[in-house]
Amino acid sequence: MLIPRRVKHRKQHHPKRTGMAKGGTEVTFGDYGIQALEPAYVTNRQIESARIAMTRYMKRGGKVWINIYPDRPLTKKPAETRMGSGKGSPEWWVANVKPGRVMFEVNGVSEEVAREAMRLAMHKLPMKCRFVAREGGDI
Amino acid sequence: MAQEKTYLDATIRTEFGKGAARRIRREDKIPAVLYGHGEKPVHLELEGHATMLAVKNPNNLLTIRYDGKEELALARDVQREILRRNIEHVDLVIVKRGEKVVVDVAVHVEGEAAPETVVTTENATLSVEAPATDIPEFFTVSVEGLEAGTQILAKDITLPEGVTLDSDEELLVVNITEQISAEALEAELAEAEAEAGIEHDESDEEAAEAEAAEGAEGESAEGDAAEGDDSEQE
Repeated sequence: MLIPRRVKHRKQHHPKRTGMAKGGTEVTFGDYGIQALEPAYVTNRQIESARIAMTRYMKRGGKVWINIYPDRPLTKKPAETRMGSGKGSPEWWVANVKPGRVMFEVNGVSEEVAREAMRLAMHKLPMKCRFVAREGGDI
Repeated sequence: MAQEKTYLDATIRTEFGKGAARRIRREDKIPAVLYGHGEKPVHLELEGHATMLAVKNPNNLLTIRYDGKEELALARDVQREILRRNIEHVDLVIVKRGEKVVVDVAVHVEGEAAPETVVTTENATLSVEAPATDIPEFFTVSVEGLEAGTQILAKDITLPEGVTLDSDEELLVVNITEQISAEALEAELAEAEAEAGIEHDESDEEAAEAEAAEGAEGESAEGDAAEGDDSEQE
């Protein structure tokens, strides 16, 4: 699973969820991609699940690119703990995804295979997404 | 390769800024700017639908008609809304007949490579120098029957007459690699699933098989027990 090797600050503020993606809104590396339509925190487990779902469907053909990285820690206080006494301990690693961001890309498979593989992967992600293709970008 | 003439009617814009631009977009028009060849930039309004169709091919040669004049132009930059993909603004660069321009042309891969291979397009566009009035729409690369380990470089692509390569000759365009073995893939996925804590639900077939096996075992056990009872009674 994707986890930063070393971080400057172990606990951070929650990332802002407003606005649209600033870059990474086009399919760049592969032929097809999954584009986020809503903002969401995508955890490293969700990224991994989506990747596995895609790879399992595409079997040995094709290549997968992951364009997001879960570099923001989210903390949680233990259950039944009184408020105060500092911030909780890091619990999840998330990528702060804004609408428009192309999160995954695939190459080397037909459109039907890519569409189905990405449909399966979208079920593992916490926001509405859509299938996009290179050239024109919108299907 | 030879392009049909695409005409776009435009009017000169007199008001600027985001308010004016939004008013233009509400009328299904697109703000644009035309510049190049040392001439002063001209701010234009283009027809929305016609422009959308015209810039579908990014290297389409456009003839812009405005103020009683005609200018040949290429769309240098098309700004789109991220989600709705509507065109927000177009940068048009003036070109002259006979002039050569540097453009990015798409590379299309066709054919089926040898079995057990993965075809990866490393660079989907190729930068070339071509006559402005004769820009190729795309280049076709055939991977028919090619074996793993084959690399198609920029210099391997056949260019039409009058078109020269502007990017590095050794630029990798298409890479054909060997597929990962089924065992290696399964091992990699199993490891990833174990790390992520993913458990597979039993499929219906597997469940039916397990049930049938259990049933058979149960029957044989019951049969044994019945035989035992009989012997006890005796």
